[in-house]
Amino acid sequence: MTGRAAALGWLAGLLALAVLPFLVKNPFLVHVVILVYMWTVLGAAWNVLGGFAGQVSFGHAALFGIGAYTTIILFLKAGVAPWWGILWGGLAAAVGSVPVGLICFRLRGPYFSLATLAVAELAKLVALNWEWLTNGPVGFLITTLPPLTILGHAVNWEAKAPFYFLAALLLLVALASTAWLSRSRLGAFLVAIRENEDAAEAVGIDTVRAKVLTLALSAFLAGLGGGFYAFYFRYVDPDAVLNIGLSMEMVFIAMVGGLGTVGGPFIGAVFLTTIGEVVRERFQVGHLIFYGLFMMIVIRFLPEGIWGRARIAWARVRAGAHRHGAA
Amino acid sequence: MALLECEDLTRLFGGLRAVGNLSFRVDDGEIVGLIGPNGAGKTTVFNLITGFVRPSGGAIRLDGRDIAGLKPHAVARRGVARTFQIVKPFPGLSARENVTLGAFLRHRTRRDAESAASDVLEKVGLAHRAGVRAGELNLMDQKRLEMAKALATSPRVLLLDEPMGGLNPSEVDAASDIVESIRKAGVTVVLVEHVMKAIMRISDRVVVMHHGEKIAEGAPSSVVQDPAVVAAYFGPRGR
Amino acid sequence: METFVQSLVSGLLTGSLYAMIGIGLTVVFGVMRIINLAHGEMVMLGMFAAYFSQKLWGIDPFASVLVWAPVMFLFGMALYRTLLRKIVAGGELNTLLYTAGLSLLIANLALFAWTGDYRTIILPYGLTPMRPFGIAVPAALALGFGLAVAITGALWAFLNRTNLGRAIRATSQNREAAVLMGIDVERVAVVTFGLGTALAGAAGVLLAPSLYLYPTVGELLVVKSFVIVVLGGLGSVPGAIAGGLLLGVVESLGAVYVSATYKDGLGYVLFLLVLLYRPAGLFGVGKS
Repeated sequence: MTGRAAALGWLAGLLALAVLPFLVKNPFLVHVVILVYMWTVLGAAWNVLGGFAGQVSFGHAALFGIGAYTTIILFLKAGVAPWWGILWGGLAAAVGSVPVGLICFRLRGPYFSLATLAVAELAKLVALNWEWLTNGPVGFLITTLPPLTILGHAVNWEAKAPFYFLAALLLLVALASTAWLSRSRLGAFLVAIRENEDAAEAVGIDTVRAKVLTLALSAFLAGLGGGFYAFYFRYVDPDAVLNIGLSMEMVFIAMVGGLGTVGGPFIGAVFLTTIGEVVRERFQVGHLIFYGLFMMIVIRFLPEGIWGRARIAWARVRAGAHRHGAA
Repeated sequence: MALLECEDLTRLFGGLRAVGNLSFRVDDGEIVGLIGPNGAGKTTVFNLITGFVRPSGGAIRLDGRDIAGLKPHAVARRGVARTFQIVKPFPGLSARENVTLGAFLRHRTRRDAESAASDVLEKVGLAHRAGVRAGELNLMDQKRLEMAKALATSPRVLLLDEPMGGLNPSEVDAASDIVESIRKAGVTVVLVEHVMKAIMRISDRVVVMHHGEKIAEGAPSSVVQDPAVVAAYFGPRGR
Repeated sequence: METFVQSLVSGLLTGSLYAMIGIGLTVVFGVMRIINLAHGEMVMLGMFAAYFSQKLWGIDPFASVLVWAPVMFLFGMALYRTLLRKIVAGGELNTLLYTAGLSLLIANLALFAWTGDYRTIILPYGLTPMRPFGIAVPAALALGFGLAVAITGALWAFLNRTNLGRAIRATSQNREAAVLMGIDVERVAVVTFGLGTALAGAAGVLLAPSLYLYPTVGELLVVKSFVIVVLGGLGSVPGAIAGGLLLGVVESLGAVYVSATYKDGLGYVLFLLVLLYRPAGLFGVGKS
């Protein structure tokens, strides 16, 4: 996309983002949009590690869970307001990811993926059993949220709007970080590592450091998503925030949307949330059936993801137009 | 003081002694050829120097400072670059992007790195194919790219692992020209090669390995007549 | 002491069935370099096959393995031919993610069809433990062990004595060389996948009388099967046997001496340690 067109696109998107809650009054629809934003953040988080760095993690739910637990525990036990708690959740996940990364990144390819699986299952076991920290299987519940006034208005936590704007803010953070990564030196290093890790080392790229930094960013975003979840849904327990289905959903969003793209996770999140809601309407259960099915279909027929394929098609159209237009 | 030196370098793989008590030095500005029959341990020496494999014993020094055991990226940072016998490009990226990645080691911004990369591409003769995907280049150009990637890191020493493998005689000459121009630009070269024509033409000195040990060292013309070297290549009965 | 021997034996018996699951996974990896995340679901299908054939037709689960193993073999071959073959060409990452999707699909279809209720198989003779050498051994587990040994023995004979078996081993060791030797590696791949699926399904049938059955049990089992396979070395059949037995024993002893709740965790920790320090497996026979 040309610079001008892209900038206009972003501006239009921002505008739509800002006015949506004033235009859409149906609280259920706003709720769905909030979910889309949250899942975009989570998909972007996975995409940073899986799409850009090519390291497939099946344990991202652990990072989400750290964010969720940190936020809710800080609020319920230390009175830290959840909107700050979310930030702490992201940081906790990022910090927690470093030792995990240092251990797991010694492994390559499928070995790495299996290790993340083991780490995530261990995290769930810890959450279930360290009751002094996590309340075990009972989990935590937020009953009342602290009062907050912005610009003279008291925030109504029962309405969707405040959560909408918070989710939108997190969405922008996620998209901005991914956009930055794709243009930065670190992003270039990640591409090199993905293409040929030995060659990357041979030209002086510290592959472990690059991967650890990327994981930290990925963890930060996942932690933010987890913190938001805790704040919005007000309930956290091991099954809700540390189950492997969550990890798979994050993979799914990034894959369906388009690995290594900035816009992909958003498309993936829209897809996933729409299917999820439709299936829940019709069939009550079994939305994961469709996730699995669509993941298979996308990998078979659209390995670049929906957004990825759209970009390729768009590039072809422009190349064709150039050839014809130049004549 | 030697620019690069190995002292008593040893590497064991289980019971196999791939490299044993190997000592040699490379002085600034030289082109040193490293030859020997297949399985002599030449690539292992390169892997040891560049940190892809840890030594079981001995020392490796660059400018007098110990570099043995450092990770490959750290060795590259100190100024030792290498090419691989079977080229390892970044296949999905263009030649220019490949070389730019190497340039990032010494240049912070993309613009500087890209401009340095352009210079290197010129030097190796790939400027006209800079936009082509690395995976689609022909063999000779892939070899050029392999050298370019390494050169982009502005090394003091360049280790070339069989750069002429698979090239026809005129391509061998072209590659030899490139190596000589690299030396002229101030980079010291260690060259593992089987193509004797190239070794004889461009090396100042030759080190011969067999079964992981050094068996001869000296000027190219004298080394190829050394009976131990002949025996190593052709067997104890000689010619 | 008696508790120790009791748990040891119990662990070995369960371990033998774990070993079968592991063998199924490891042969598929060895020949096709596929990490099949849907492997756990194959075991689950075997479990439910045994359950339903007993519930609906009164067939004893251990007898039913004679029927279900071949069925799973054919199912595995069909699965490979129709779904997986084209994906494998796309690379390891794609295959990994594809099998993850397949796993989700199968597990949740099962959940939809059969609900998440826990089920058990009650065997009339299962209640009386056998007492060889004074050690109480549940009959179901002992029978399962016996059949597992028989099946593994048959597999060993197949891999070592028949041409097709040798072709499989050859392809597993060096695919290119196998092609050059005139081995039809595609056929080997199809058969191997069928074999892996059959082993998983048979293990499920044999395990069914000893475990709680529920459609998402695959999730737990697939992690266990990877632990086994990594312990023993990816691609090594003897390694998978050793790994399976080891895991069975570690879990059993761990439940008694360390903690019942953390017994799964022990497996994961062991797994991570092996991945880090001996990725070729405890016996160093696997491929990296």
